[in-house]
Amino acid sequence: MKNRSLALSAIYIWLFAFALIPIALTVAASFLSSSTSELITLPFTLSNYQSLFSPLLLHILLRSLGLALVTTFFCLALAYPFSYFMVKSKHQSLMLLFIIIPFWTSSLIRTYALIAILKFNGLLNTALLKLHIISSPITFLYTNFAVISGLVYTLFPFMVLPLFTNMERFDFRLIEAARDLGASRRQTFWRIFLPSTKPGILSGVMMVFLPAMTLFYIPQILGGARSILIGNLIQNQFLVAGDWPQGAATSIFLTFILLIFMVMYRKPWSKQS
Amino acid sequence: MRAYLAIFLCFLSSGLFAAHRTLNVYGWGGELPRSLIRDFEQETGINIYFSTYDSNETLYAKLHATKQQPVYDVIMPSAYFVERLKNQKFLEKLDKTKLPHLKNIDRSFNGQDYDAFNEHSVPLIWGITGLFYNSKWIKNPPTSWEALWNPGYKHTLMLIDDPREVFGMALLTLGYSPNDINPAHITQAYEKLQALAPNIKLFASDGIKSLMIDEEVHIGPAYNGDAFKAQQENLNIKLVYPEEGYAMWIDCLSIMKNAPHREEAYIFIDFLLRAKSAATIAKKEGHAITNRAGIALLPETTRNNLIIYPPKEVIERSIVQRDMPNNILRLYNYYWQQLKFSL
Amino acid sequence: MKQLIKHGYLSFVFVLLYLPILVLIAYSFNDAHFSLSWHGFTINWYHILFQDEDLWSALINSMLLGFGAASIASLFAFIVCVHLFLQSQTKSSNFLHSTLLMMIILPDIVLGISLLVFFNLAHIKLGFTSLFIAHITFCIPFAIIVIQSRISTLNVDTYHSAIDLGASKLRAMTHIILPMLWPAVLSAFLLCFTLSFDDVIISYFVSGPDFNILPLYIFSLVRMGVTPELNALCSITIGLSMLLVLGAHMLSKKETI
Repeated sequence: MKNRSLALSAIYIWLFAFALIPIALTVAASFLSSSTSELITLPFTLSNYQSLFSPLLLHILLRSLGLALVTTFFCLALAYPFSYFMVKSKHQSLMLLFIIIPFWTSSLIRTYALIAILKFNGLLNTALLKLHIISSPITFLYTNFAVISGLVYTLFPFMVLPLFTNMERFDFRLIEAARDLGASRRQTFWRIFLPSTKPGILSGVMMVFLPAMTLFYIPQILGGARSILIGNLIQNQFLVAGDWPQGAATSIFLTFILLIFMVMYRKPWSKQS
Repeated sequence: MRAYLAIFLCFLSSGLFAAHRTLNVYGWGGELPRSLIRDFEQETGINIYFSTYDSNETLYAKLHATKQQPVYDVIMPSAYFVERLKNQKFLEKLDKTKLPHLKNIDRSFNGQDYDAFNEHSVPLIWGITGLFYNSKWIKNPPTSWEALWNPGYKHTLMLIDDPREVFGMALLTLGYSPNDINPAHITQAYEKLQALAPNIKLFASDGIKSLMIDEEVHIGPAYNGDAFKAQQENLNIKLVYPEEGYAMWIDCLSIMKNAPHREEAYIFIDFLLRAKSAATIAKKEGHAITNRAGIALLPETTRNNLIIYPPKEVIERSIVQRDMPNNILRLYNYYWQQLKFSL
Repeated sequence: MKQLIKHGYLSFVFVLLYLPILVLIAYSFNDAHFSLSWHGFTINWYHILFQDEDLWSALINSMLLGFGAASIASLFAFIVCVHLFLQSQTKSSNFLHSTLLMMIILPDIVLGISLLVFFNLAHIKLGFTSLFIAHITFCIPFAIIVIQSRISTLNVDTYHSAIDLGASKLRAMTHIILPMLWPAVLSAFLLCFTLSFDDVIISYFVSGPDFNILPLYIFSLVRMGVTPELNALCSITIGLSMLLVLGAHMLSKKETI
């Protein structure tokens, strides 16, 4: 089917104008310099990329990767059984909407609500104290734990939606058939159910891991001085330092690393298999 | 049915009338009360579109990116950004004859270095960065910035998320001005700040008042306006003006060069310069105003409050932040990045 | 037993999800200005909220923007996904994938600033137009991912048979593929609406002065500290959404009976 309908061409033109060109501008900017009067100016230079090879960037990058991976793991662990149970229940669309509704409030306000829960004399500590699980309050806030909680909470529906749309299509008679043919529960899961949900997992992981790397307001509000991530660094470069070329370079570099990650990740999971 | 039609026509006509004159104002969130803007709209019939930014740097970024087509008429940069924008020819030279209420501004705000003779800006709101502490947790009241380096304050320190404020504080402890441009001095300040690192709990940019009130942090630099408001909800919060000195910030009104609605901009600024408007700003948002006539309208408890309107000797020792040459700014930014992101 | 596990786990997750929301609603009654601790009960903040005209216009603007952007982004995504699926992997589809991936990876601030620079160069006025374009653009990759996660389960033979039997491409698409993909498109729409409704950074850079949207309004107030008025707004948003959803659900139930 080589025909390109008009609609498709229009979409490609849209993406070219409003996605590719801005991306190209960003790449171009990363090779330029900044000055007092102009935020982006000649001469061309590689110094923005050179300055990336520093222990500082490695430190922040590793921390961000670590937190993003942990976040993705917990999101997946929570969302996978959740989507499965949702598919098996009667009020699917209702439940789906109820998952989304909290996210129609401002994420900023929700994050502040998390503060009320996680802080020193907040709900979590009060509950743990009342249940005698701990004897004195724990510092949850302004730690990596708080950032991960915030990220998992904010990105949870991004994992549920692709998983659910994928699982919903699963033909459960296959499971019945397998059980009839003598397969154990474990075999049924690992060799029939799980492989068919791979595209859902892949999409979900992408939609959680990538934003987890670049969201900056959650580490800013919940994170304290020792949980700052690479999204904050990029924001700092653009706004506080006013160094757009440097911010562009760091972003392109990050994109490059994540692209490699994704390509490596997709290979064993490609559609052809 | 006819009633609805009538109401609809009223809306339409009022909309048409208002559409004649508009003004685009770009200011700090939380500094101009919306009731004041509505009063202006009702009095003059000029429709105001008010957008906000959360930092001078974001303002700067947006102004630069829209240079070819200026979007905003009136902006509210801080003093050292007035200097920078003025030098980059973003600001209109003010026609003082169009601002009769300019005389209300306290004389001490005229003729400051960042904008001699206030040719490009009108000071509106000001404040001083002092040292706040929570008397419930800190038993020995600090009197100097140096006190923050006390190892006893481990993990209780809040720093303002602004390199100029933080470095200004360090430079003051070394006996230099916050506007120092000597690279060697700045490096010294950086090294001093590295020693402070273990005490830092967080860098605060918003919700500073909540942090103070809920006692998540016990000590650190804070804007006097924030401390003033926080104190109203938590009596343990105190503010001192350290002996080494402290920085003053001033938020000003400026008109963009080639502003699309210049006449309306002058009318708006003059409106804000009236005593009653300034008093409304002070009462609703709690900031210190530059308007002498406006201050006279404030309740006595506010006028005499030493945190929000410190005594003359305190004000005289404050130093207004100035803009810096680009290469020095790069140094600041480099050190700031190292400091903040290496923790 | 299985039912117990199922209901138990679902309830557990819903409780976790809604706990911060309950806290948020509770604090809308908090008798304090900036403190995040409880100071007593008041409905004062709701009074203030109802008198805040700017807030309401911002809310409606955001809803319009979100609805429009989500619809178009989902539509675009649907067309692209179907086309990609019917056509086997080619160089152009790999290039498309990489572009979409880049759009998701690139931090919002980069997208925002680069779009702003682009709009400035192209002399596109900042306002509803620029916001609309930007929102559609950043929603498309997410919509495509959601729809693609399901498209692989599609049976393409039904489509081809329909074409063979004489159906036009459009008819085959709307009568065969769309019903199969319907939940995915709806999910994509919901996701895009959520993204658009809550976007702060990109909207900040590409918005103009005359079209105020809710996230920016909230963002400007948050800098001064979260007052319970904002909590009141969120509580009302949630309450209304729930009523809407429950109402729609009950209506659809009625129809099937």
